[in-house]
Amino acid sequence: MPKKSKGANKDDKMRENKSKSVSVKSQKHKPAEKELKPVEEKEVISLKEEELLQESGTDSDYDADSLSGSLNSDDFDSDIFDSEDDDSQRETKDGESSEDRSVGVGHEGSEDNEDDDESEQIDSDNGEEDGSDEGSEQGEAVEESDSSEDEVAPRNTVGDVPLVWYKDEKHIGYDITGKKITKKEKRDKLDSFLATMDDSKNWRKIYDDYNDEEVELTKEESKIIRRMLKGEAPHADFDPYAPYVDWFKWDDAIHPLSSAPEPKRRFIPSKWEAKMVVKYVRAIRKGWIKFDKPEEEPNVYLLWGDDSASDQKNKHLTYIPPPKLKLPGHDESYNPSLEYIPTEEEKASYELMYEEDRPKFIPKRFTSLRSIPAYENALRESFERCLDLYLCPRVRKKRINIDPESLKPKLPSRKDLRPYPNSCYLEYKGHTGPVTSISTDSSGQWIASGSTDGSVRIWEVETGRCLKIWQFVEAIKCVSWNPLSSLPIIAAAMGRDLVILNTELGSDEEQEIIKERLHLGNLPESDASVAAIVSWLPDELYGGIKIRHFKNVSYIHWNRKGDYISTVMASGETRGVVTHQLSKKLTRRLKFKIRGLPVCTLFHPSRSYFFIATRKDVRVFNLLETDEPIKKLETGLKEISSMAIHPSGDHLIVGSKEGKLCWFDTDLSSKPYKTLKNHPKDITNVAFHRSYPLFASCSEDSTAYVFHGMVYNDLNQNPLIVPLEILRGHSNGGVLDCKFHPRQPWLFTAGADSIIKLYCH
Amino acid sequence: MDIDGEDVSRRIHVKFVTKLEPPFKAPVSSIAIPSDVTRLGLSSIVNELLKHANPEWESEPFDFLIDGELIRMSLEEFLRAKGISAERTLEIEYIRAVTPRKEEEPSLHDDWVSAVNGSSSRFILTGCYDSLGRVWSSAGSCSHILEGHAGAISSVALVNSNDARSVTVATASKDRTLRLFKLDPAESVDSSTRVRAYKILRGHKASVQSVSAQKSGNMVCSSSWDCTINLWDTNESTSEGESVTVKKRKGNNKAEESQSEGEAVTTFVGHTQCVSSVVWPEHDVIYSSSWDHSVRRWDVETGKDSLNLFCGKALNTVDVGGEGSALVAAAGSDPILRVWDPRKPGTSAPVFQFSSHTSWISAIKWHKSSWFHLLSASYDGKIMLWDLRTAWPLSVIDTHTDKVLSADWWKGDSVVSGGADSNLRISSGIAIS
Repeated sequence: MPKKSKGANKDDKMRENKSKSVSVKSQKHKPAEKELKPVEEKEVISLKEEELLQESGTDSDYDADSLSGSLNSDDFDSDIFDSEDDDSQRETKDGESSEDRSVGVGHEGSEDNEDDDESEQIDSDNGEEDGSDEGSEQGEAVEESDSSEDEVAPRNTVGDVPLVWYKDEKHIGYDITGKKITKKEKRDKLDSFLATMDDSKNWRKIYDDYNDEEVELTKEESKIIRRMLKGEAPHADFDPYAPYVDWFKWDDAIHPLSSAPEPKRRFIPSKWEAKMVVKYVRAIRKGWIKFDKPEEEPNVYLLWGDDSASDQKNKHLTYIPPPKLKLPGHDESYNPSLEYIPTEEEKASYELMYEEDRPKFIPKRFTSLRSIPAYENALRESFERCLDLYLCPRVRKKRINIDPESLKPKLPSRKDLRPYPNSCYLEYKGHTGPVTSISTDSSGQWIASGSTDGSVRIWEVETGRCLKIWQFVEAIKCVSWNPLSSLPIIAAAMGRDLVILNTELGSDEEQEIIKERLHLGNLPESDASVAAIVSWLPDELYGGIKIRHFKNVSYIHWNRKGDYISTVMASGETRGVVTHQLSKKLTRRLKFKIRGLPVCTLFHPSRSYFFIATRKDVRVFNLLETDEPIKKLETGLKEISSMAIHPSGDHLIVGSKEGKLCWFDTDLSSKPYKTLKNHPKDITNVAFHRSYPLFASCSEDSTAYVFHGMVYNDLNQNPLIVPLEILRGHSNGGVLDCKFHPRQPWLFTAGADSIIKLYCH
Repeated sequence: MDIDGEDVSRRIHVKFVTKLEPPFKAPVSSIAIPSDVTRLGLSSIVNELLKHANPEWESEPFDFLIDGELIRMSLEEFLRAKGISAERTLEIEYIRAVTPRKEEEPSLHDDWVSAVNGSSSRFILTGCYDSLGRVWSSAGSCSHILEGHAGAISSVALVNSNDARSVTVATASKDRTLRLFKLDPAESVDSSTRVRAYKILRGHKASVQSVSAQKSGNMVCSSSWDCTINLWDTNESTSEGESVTVKKRKGNNKAEESQSEGEAVTTFVGHTQCVSSVVWPEHDVIYSSSWDHSVRRWDVETGKDSLNLFCGKALNTVDVGGEGSALVAAAGSDPILRVWDPRKPGTSAPVFQFSSHTSWISAIKWHKSSWFHLLSASYDGKIMLWDLRTAWPLSVIDTHTDKVLSADWWKGDSVVSGGADSNLRISSGIAIS
């Protein structure tokens, strides 16, 4: 069987290769190169040749394919039997096989391999038979002397490459030693023709362009070709009709081919398989093996970026669609409802209108589509449309999509910032004119107020009871309670006077001190420049002190210790600010020059600093040292109206007449840390709470705003400012002053409606 | 009639019971009433029942209790809110409504009435911003005028009324002093007698806000704007007082009495702001409220505060009463009346909050005999009577035309109050069982 199949195979191959056998033959007869081949190589090969011949038998001459196939199978054998010269053999065999293919087969390599496999199998299975075959075929193989030439490596070693590659070269390839094989000189056509004419054997010659030589076919070879052309077996000795020898024994065998009992392992489940299964199960459980693995994206990218997209887009204008025309409505119908059709009067009124106002289209009614005339405006309208599109460049507006909520600063909730004043429970009624100024005493039991009706009043905070009234002629500009709790006196500014009033609230001992303070004994000598501005007089009316200035006093402020009081005369220009010392009854002009009109002044709560606010900016002076301001705070406001200082002394709020409020961190910068624009009208006053983190501003819009203004001890942390509440309640005319209760989170507001209100938390 | 049918389906069987005495006792029988009646309807039903039993019966407002809770909405809503079944016969207890039935003539003062005290059933004490204290034996009749202060009187207290002929009264004033007066309430009523203090208590550094006396009458305590509470002896002759007795008023012939001056026995320091009110309900316990947002309980013996209730608002007034005289009611700079129960462990939250007022509350007083009733006076000009069993005021007295500065119970069935309209007003006929 195997022999037969092998034979059949070879027959098939032979037929296929008929046409190629010419070139195969050409290889076999290489008269020139036999001598050229290196000796040592030949020795190696000789061994090989014998085996080959033994194996391939008679067919080997004709069929290069089968030769190489059997060669491989032989290789298999040789691996087993003689491993010593395995390496060298392999070298040569490899070389041969590649040559063989390169010459004849080429495209049939794949088939070859299959055949190889088959033959391999057969060989290994039926080793004995092969052996006998070899024995029988040996004789023939010896006779075929020229078959050895087949095994000789061709002159050219370039391998199976298209010869076009060497078309323009002077050489055709490389010989086995690596030297170039130069092309023979091409004879021109005439010469070659003459040569062929001369040579009688020329018809037997073929040109081997691989090796660039002419090969003369032998008689036998030409016979084979002729035979193949006829469709016969190539070899003359081959008998296609040989008697069939049935090698198979047809009689039944008693035993199966193997009588060995079935091994136990066939019946028990495989341990290794089980182990593998366990391994896989575990891997699946632990997630090492993942099903439905997401396809990995190819890890390739464009090195130079996606230039096609970005560059090309920017190079040309993108198309912007023109704005759409308004779609026609009912009135543009050819047969609109009657209400769309204007009456004669309306039409007449259109005539009276300006051309711009006149309606562009007057609806008309047609009974049928047929009766509609041509639209007279069609040309004009389309022209205008084109003109519009041409003259109005279209631009794509980029809209930034930002959530407006995200722009809001993150502020804590108002609820967490309690307590703060929010509702009015108490009103202090009694004044007959707008209340211009209020001031609380240090304990928070009393509040003093001054009004344009010329009265200064003291109120009991708790009940709203008016305790005392001082009536003056002029309107009260400003009242200020002495910050010392042991010195319950009030300073009130009216007209050109600053009056210091005894409230008679303290204990007897305190009263004695006050009486002494308010008694003008022999006044100390003051220099002429001061005397020109200020004069100290006893107040006959209420037994206090009256300090008369040369200009109207607009603002007064006690220092923290309650001994100095500063007065501002808005129209006093450079002499507009003076300080009075109550204990010495002494007035001092400021050493430093004031630029601009002073508005208000402040003493620093703990240091000897003095703040002067002019219309535009705030200057900070050191009272003890220099003449120049140590700091200038640029508010950027149009007109400052008021100012208040944080109890720590490092922060200042400034209110302005345009309704803006600036918070200054004096340590931080000369620019405002925050500017709050809340009031639509002038801010009249601002105030800080003494202990709670609160500040407030009041305005002519009859509201007061309460803010949370937390100042942290950590210098790196900016103050936290949160608007808390808008306090309304005063009728028109505005809120003229606001002051915090010194101990409670309550706010007093003085209104132009002559009422003082107390807002509690 | 659809509506009628619906009404029938919503009828509730009720039984009116009461603890009142016979003239108010209605026949106990179950009757069916519509479920949407309110307090007024119930009251008229009970009145009808009573009239049925007693033809001379005059209508009388009643209040109704179901399971100890006062009804302040329609019966149906109440039942739904409380989850009471309307199927069974409902037992409704009725009591006489706590509301003043008579308004007495106002007693006009010269200035704002800042303090009112009704501890004694024989007279009413008032303090006024004209620095005089007055004793009123009844509405419109002033029997005594207590003079001597240089500033507005902020508080008055009855110190000792054990002796029928002689009564001791303490007044606190904004002139930083307290004065003690002795007077005989039975004196002739036709003309008011001027009384001078027998003892002046000096020591406070600022306005005295409140005064309260010990039950025994031996001591008074006072609170002031100087953040302290002082305890004073009320004895006429103290050891150090003798040296001061030299100081006599000689200008006035009539008042030849000697005036001794007393100094504080003890000072309780702890409040950080004005102490607005003190009460001395028991022998050795003083409660105080302050503008520093706290109510404190002081132990008289040690002078330490044993309780500190924090409220968050400046407090104007405090009173102790209610169940076991243990509930603390305080209010101040907001319209909410808060009641704490200090007996509850770990309490800082008030157990009751009443918020019907619209302005600051100036006075709170518990009823002396009832566990449930208290009154509150507010700057909104209203006095409200409260029952702990309901969240709404039992009745609102709004006779004052301006701020009410002080109010108190009098004789157990009247409310006396003084305010910024310079009037002392007495609302009587309040039935508290």
